[in-house]
Amino acid sequence: MLFRAELRKILPYRTVWIILLAYAVLLLLFVSAGGSLTVNGQKLGESLYVFPALWSKLAYVASYFTMLLGVLFIILITDEFQFRTFRQQVIDGASVGELVQGKLAVSGLLAGFAALVVVGIGFYFGLTRAAGTADQAAAGLPTVLLYGVQVLGLLSLAALVAVLVRRSGAAILVFLLYLWVAEPLLRLSLPDELDRYLPAKIFNSLTPMPGQELMDTVAGPSLALLPTQALPLALAYTALFWGLSYLVLRSRDL
Amino acid sequence: MPILELENLSKTYGGTTALKGLTLQVEPGSVYGLLGPNGSGKTTTLGIALGVLRASSGTVRWFGQEPTAANRRRIGALLETPNFFPYLSARQNLLLAADVKQADTRSVDQALDAVGLGTRQHDAFRGFSLGMKQRLALASTLLGSPEVLVLDEPTNGLDPQGIAEVRSLVQRLAAEGKTIILASHLLDEIEKVCTHVAVLQRGELRAAGPVSNILATADRVLLRPAPDTPAALVQQALAALPWVSDVRPETGGILSAAVAASHGPADVNRALFEQGIVLAGLEIRHRSLEAQFLELTR
Repeated sequence: MLFRAELRKILPYRTVWIILLAYAVLLLLFVSAGGSLTVNGQKLGESLYVFPALWSKLAYVASYFTMLLGVLFIILITDEFQFRTFRQQVIDGASVGELVQGKLAVSGLLAGFAALVVVGIGFYFGLTRAAGTADQAAAGLPTVLLYGVQVLGLLSLAALVAVLVRRSGAAILVFLLYLWVAEPLLRLSLPDELDRYLPAKIFNSLTPMPGQELMDTVAGPSLALLPTQALPLALAYTALFWGLSYLVLRSRDL
Repeated sequence: MPILELENLSKTYGGTTALKGLTLQVEPGSVYGLLGPNGSGKTTTLGIALGVLRASSGTVRWFGQEPTAANRRRIGALLETPNFFPYLSARQNLLLAADVKQADTRSVDQALDAVGLGTRQHDAFRGFSLGMKQRLALASTLLGSPEVLVLDEPTNGLDPQGIAEVRSLVQRLAAEGKTIILASHLLDEIEKVCTHVAVLQRGELRAAGPVSNILATADRVLLRPAPDTPAALVQQALAALPWVSDVRPETGGILSAAVAASHGPADVNRALFEQGIVLAGLEIRHRSLEAQFLELTR
């Protein structure tokens, strides 16, 4: 019932469709334009779309567009405070736990959407521009699942910020400032063995930059965790952020 | 078993005390009015009862149990303002509310018709007037035919016809046996529909009980002495009666006095006659709830 209620809120909401469309179209355009990039005097061309390496490249590129989904999720949660609909739903018989479960389900939907867009774009470009490698298309698909976990993680952080700040503009600012300024600055002041465990760094470790191994041979080994090492920690952070959101909602007046 | 029990409820916001040790009970089938000026703690009381405000101390029990989401679904409530998604239509908002209440979505049509919004059901909430928003909020409280209705200032923004419709809706629902808790600063509204009333002022309970009892304590006896009887003599005789208080001279040689609930105007007449005092007139002046409210909150 509560999941249906969430769908009733988001399906007719134009802002949702505009941001989802922007996410898909921007990613599509970026991936499409990638083939004409020139590196060391050579066009990347079709080599960019070769399976299975395509998936890790796509997941890495898509991670830059996840912010859009974070912004959308913050809008969806802060709307509930602005319209006082969280308050009304509790009055109408929802528990705070159910409010959180509803938003958790929406974050799952958004992560599923993001993963599907990546899969769709991957298959389109892979099959049309590097059809010869189609037999290896399935090999790198778990990378897309890791990207889905990354989206879930960032959305859990977005939810916590939204619940704490309650106003959309300020919450979006805090979210982006944390990811782009606060945590990078914090990493500079922390030893490498510690900074790799910060949440945004953990989420980023799920979709490492393609060719990182090559970089490591040149610049020395990176201390970033491998995606498989980062996965349980990313899930733990996701659970922690949702748990904190629940506690904040439960302890404050609505 | 009371429908709602509030026990020693207090709430502070920073340094401000919004509610001080409020205790009251709402019995099944009553239309219970919460009366008080703006800022008296009516909405805070209902907010705590409905689980959206945290009490600083005290307990709430609904239907004899600890408050839970499940027992809130047995209540239809409008608290303070109509809260809906502005981009959804009236109908979409009610379908959503029905899902949250786990009510049959078929009750949406009945609720829309009950408040006269059937023809505007597909219009977006953001385009509604204040009165229409209030009607939609009332419709939402009716979803799933709850046993209890909590209505906080339900006639806000309504025109006189809308106010009359809400009043008759409340009376009709009360006649069906539903318990209704009605917070308002409109005394006339409370006096017309409520069976019980609690008067709050600055977060404190000033009086509570059946409306008739609250009003009875406010009744005064008016006495007109016979032409040959000096008013001072009557005043002196009345002052000697232990169950008479607050004797005041009124205009035209008339005296008024408050009589304890255990006695009536006949007792006053008899006591004075036994002292050889004859009255030319004796009547009871019923005070309105407004007068009593002003007295209580003075």
